[in-house]
Amino acid sequence: MDVKRREFMVHVAQGTAVAATGAMLWLYMLRQEARAHPFALRPPGALPEADFNATCIKCGKCVNACPYDTLDLAAAGGDLPIGTPYFIPRDIPCYLCPDIPCMKACPTGALSPELKDINDSRMGLAVIDLENCLSWRGLRCEICHRECPLKGKAITLETHPRPISKHAMFYPIVHSDACTGCGICEKACPTTEAAIRVLPHKMVQGKIGDHYRLGWTFDTEITQDFKPAPPAASSAPPAATPKRAPGMDYLNEGGL
Amino acid sequence: MGLSRRDFLKTSIAASTAATVGMPVAKQAAAAVKASEAGWQWDKAVCRFCGTGCGIMVATKDGQLVATKGDPDAPVNRGLNCVKGYFNGKIQSGKDRLTQPLMRMKDGKFDKKGQFVPVTWEQAFDEMERQFRRVYAEKGPTGIAMLASAQKTIQEGYAFNKLFKAGWRSNNIDPNARNCMASAVAAFYSVFGTDEPAGNYDDIEYADTMVLWGANMAEMHPILWSRVTNRRLGHKAARVINLTTFRNMSSDIADLEIIFKPQTDLAIQNYIAREIIARNAVNWDFVNKHCVFATGPYDIGYGMRPTDKFAFPAEKDVQERERRVKLDKYEAIAQRRTEGEIVEQKNTANPAAHWLITFEDFKKAVEPYTLDFVAELAKGDPDEPLEQFKAKLKQLADHYIDPQRKVVSFWTMGFNQSVRGTWVNEQCYMNHLLLGKQSQPGNGAFSLTGQPSACGTAREVGVFCHRLPADRLIPNPAHRAFTEKQWNLPPKTLNPQIGSFYAKILRDLEDGSVKWLWVAVNNPFQSHPNINHWLKAARELDNFVVVSEAYPGVSAKVADVILPSAMIFEKWGSYGNAERRTQHWRQQVMPPGQARADIWQAMEFSKRFKIKDFWGEQKVPGLKAEGYEDGKLPSVLDEAVKMGYSPEDSLYKVLFATPANLKVRWPDAVAKGHPNHVATLLGDGWFPEKALWQEYVPFTRGDGKDLADFDVYHGDKVRGLKWPVVDGKETGWRFNEQYDPYVKKGAGFEFYGKLFKAIPTGDLDKVTDPKPVSVAGKAKIFFRPYAAPVEQPDANYDLWFCTGRVLEHWHTGTMTRRVPELHRAVPAAVLWMHPDDAKARGLKRNDLAWVESRRGKVQIRVETGGRNAMPRGYTYAPFFDEGVLVNRICIDAACPISKESDYKKSAVKVYKA
Repeated sequence: MDVKRREFMVHVAQGTAVAATGAMLWLYMLRQEARAHPFALRPPGALPEADFNATCIKCGKCVNACPYDTLDLAAAGGDLPIGTPYFIPRDIPCYLCPDIPCMKACPTGALSPELKDINDSRMGLAVIDLENCLSWRGLRCEICHRECPLKGKAITLETHPRPISKHAMFYPIVHSDACTGCGICEKACPTTEAAIRVLPHKMVQGKIGDHYRLGWTFDTEITQDFKPAPPAASSAPPAATPKRAPGMDYLNEGGL
Repeated sequence: MGLSRRDFLKTSIAASTAATVGMPVAKQAAAAVKASEAGWQWDKAVCRFCGTGCGIMVATKDGQLVATKGDPDAPVNRGLNCVKGYFNGKIQSGKDRLTQPLMRMKDGKFDKKGQFVPVTWEQAFDEMERQFRRVYAEKGPTGIAMLASAQKTIQEGYAFNKLFKAGWRSNNIDPNARNCMASAVAAFYSVFGTDEPAGNYDDIEYADTMVLWGANMAEMHPILWSRVTNRRLGHKAARVINLTTFRNMSSDIADLEIIFKPQTDLAIQNYIAREIIARNAVNWDFVNKHCVFATGPYDIGYGMRPTDKFAFPAEKDVQERERRVKLDKYEAIAQRRTEGEIVEQKNTANPAAHWLITFEDFKKAVEPYTLDFVAELAKGDPDEPLEQFKAKLKQLADHYIDPQRKVVSFWTMGFNQSVRGTWVNEQCYMNHLLLGKQSQPGNGAFSLTGQPSACGTAREVGVFCHRLPADRLIPNPAHRAFTEKQWNLPPKTLNPQIGSFYAKILRDLEDGSVKWLWVAVNNPFQSHPNINHWLKAARELDNFVVVSEAYPGVSAKVADVILPSAMIFEKWGSYGNAERRTQHWRQQVMPPGQARADIWQAMEFSKRFKIKDFWGEQKVPGLKAEGYEDGKLPSVLDEAVKMGYSPEDSLYKVLFATPANLKVRWPDAVAKGHPNHVATLLGDGWFPEKALWQEYVPFTRGDGKDLADFDVYHGDKVRGLKWPVVDGKETGWRFNEQYDPYVKKGAGFEFYGKLFKAIPTGDLDKVTDPKPVSVAGKAKIFFRPYAAPVEQPDANYDLWFCTGRVLEHWHTGTMTRRVPELHRAVPAAVLWMHPDDAKARGLKRNDLAWVESRRGKVQIRVETGGRNAMPRGYTYAPFFDEGVLVNRICIDAACPISKESDYKKSAVKVYKA
């Protein structure tokens, strides 16, 4: 795609936006903007989705700046707010330009200048469909691992013995602390439909409760000088007996 | 108004930027975690839940419990936890946590029919005392009782045991461990003469074959299961065999799954024994040196009441089998009798009697258990071809017999909760002993425990109606004398008559022989089988029920007084797990509101009584013991005065705050600054948990049960110790000279337990020479026959029903159902059944159904898929859900020897609700 064609495409998208002045369409677009767009993959450095939508002025400068034609502007009627930049990794992933031209082109900070190193970008997170991943089925594929620009960090291989043969399994595992969400793995995945895909973090990431720590991740010494809390109620003289206490309602409702 | 919208946007952008922009997500998150942990204080503790006994670390800040983690230094779990263990930090903070004593009141006074109203501890104890004195005056020591727990701390168990047996001279204290481990204990006693396993969890890493007998370890011992799985994956020769009555999660990695008909494990064990003999595989060197052969009576009943006076009309036909049994085809063959023969159950009173037999007799006894006979009897899945089942049984025998394979047999409730629970435990040792595969790394029969301190608290401390600390028994005069000496009691203070066991306490409540009941750290009115009887006894009869609880469960609901209890990390304590590992912890946080530790409840209540209230003459109906007048406990007050006591001394002073104990002072450096609300509340400057521990340990020493000193367990480097701890060293494998300092040098093995080691001689049917023969140092290889379950499906109640746990919930769910995440994961009990059985009843998955037995009925949703796959004819529902009280259905038959209830075999019908 040459520059002219790209500019043309940008203008078409913008044109749609400009042309959409009818009240109905305008409302529609507002609604679109207000809605969360959980599946959008945004250019490097994009603010969180709601802030991004509020900050992006749909100028298309990032799209023009991208040397790989990765970025596109959302057309009307799609899942994304019209005119905002996004990319589809299976078509063209982000190739992680070290100078981050798209971000530099952004006039509003919707693609944040706080992003100094392209490897720190977090466009999304790769997830593997274990059932259809050739490596997880025992084939020696691991293309994603080898193609990953952060190979060994964002994608590692774990080897496991295989009960049914003498041949070990090589499981690719994605690590969120290094995966940029560039989508090169998704582009490279050799299955008919990609078995590794990039999705926005909040679509895939869970969270372990704050009440728990993984025991083996850091050493914890037994505290040698425990400082007890100030005396609690039960060591103080009993206060006046309350009229109500937890559990009463259930206990008094009968029904056994 | 705090932040303006613009400020808010700015901060939210800055904060969330890290998520999508600034890379250092991980680093930043780690830093944030680290920052949030500033000021946290960590200490070691132990998981609150199952008998595995995983070590955890607990973090507190400003007096609040903020986090837990698996303890990487704990040899049991190496830093791992299961999903229940993951929530240790949340179990104490449920919204309806009981924080205030509650009493049923009407018009400002206690009233059995009143509503629960908050009261002070003083008021609650006043009423407890008034009722106690009324009942004790009327009925004496047998009129009061406690349903105790294998989830009490060791010190709590010790304190309540002492209060009941020494203070109140009542042996009516029995733990929920009765329904969990009693069959294992009875077999440890009869086979080895001493309680608790020879092996330890390291057996897993040595074993070639691991056989599960009625132990769904995948769900019930999740962390041990990950060790078993790791062994299976990492050791080429390792195999796992799952014997079960339905396909469960443990089948997932099993190499061999054997689905058998309930209770036919008895026949399968005898088939293995027969094969061992037939294939000339008896390890004669081992057997001749270390074993004898034994058997006992078969006509021992089913642990039900001797009378049907209290039975519901529908219960009477099964109840009849307590007195006489018509042998079915299989029993007839298995017991060398004729089909249809009526056998009067003549040995219900003395079911544990046993005598020596010859190997020839033993061989004759197992002879009928051929592959053809056992396969036809035992095949559990009607859809499995008989030949396939036969091949599996043969493979099972191959595994045991192969001299190249080390074999560990694991079991829990499938064995123990059976009307022949003791027998099947004994049979498991039978095969291991015949093969000489016992008490060696990777070789042994290993009884897993269900509860966190079944071993430590209930069994080692002897919180049973027939036990005293460290394998001592109530009927044994020498054991009583030793205990009286340790406890500084006048001779004959202890009651020589065995008290009421767990089920009997509830039956006593129903028939009016117990009228004052204290329940702590268990939930009998949900967990004991056949609860319709007990719910009625608690609420509708003239009984006084005290329940110490953390949450309002079913038992609290039927109580008269509810005492709010401190939970695990709110008090000092210790637990003993299934591999004899004793683990202690410090109090981490204060209990909420007025909640207080059970040990404080015992001691504070004991202050209200004087020794003269109990140590005078007491009537004990039915008491018969050498040196005692029938039906009476003598007065020991004169002797007490000679020992320096005053009749006016309080039980608190005599039993707990003794001069020796008062010397163990609080605060103590071992606390490292941790609080002790019990010591603070008692206020007389002693350290009860440490003092009682030090008072208890002499019971254990020199007898193969040795525990270490209190401070040793609290050492920073110690993660529990496996007793016997001799010269500071723990013991890996008991009875094996290489590992156990109690085995005589040169003996190789010595089964040195002292109980039941002088027995008569006889043949397969009877004693022929009553003169006791010493079998010191030997283990007994028992012949026990197959016996049919007392209740089996028939035309009316046409399905098997079995109950148990699920991984996500602990027992009756009082704790785990307060953890929102666990409740969300498994909100309600379901009834697993075969899709064809459901279809035949017009039911499909998620339909509401009635499950009805002779005893009661409940409504429950049907599940035809999921984690358990039932063969046709079988159903299973867990008992955690108080909305589905499955124990309304379950039969309260029990092993007549161990008195452990059989939760696994009720007959039910299922129909659309």
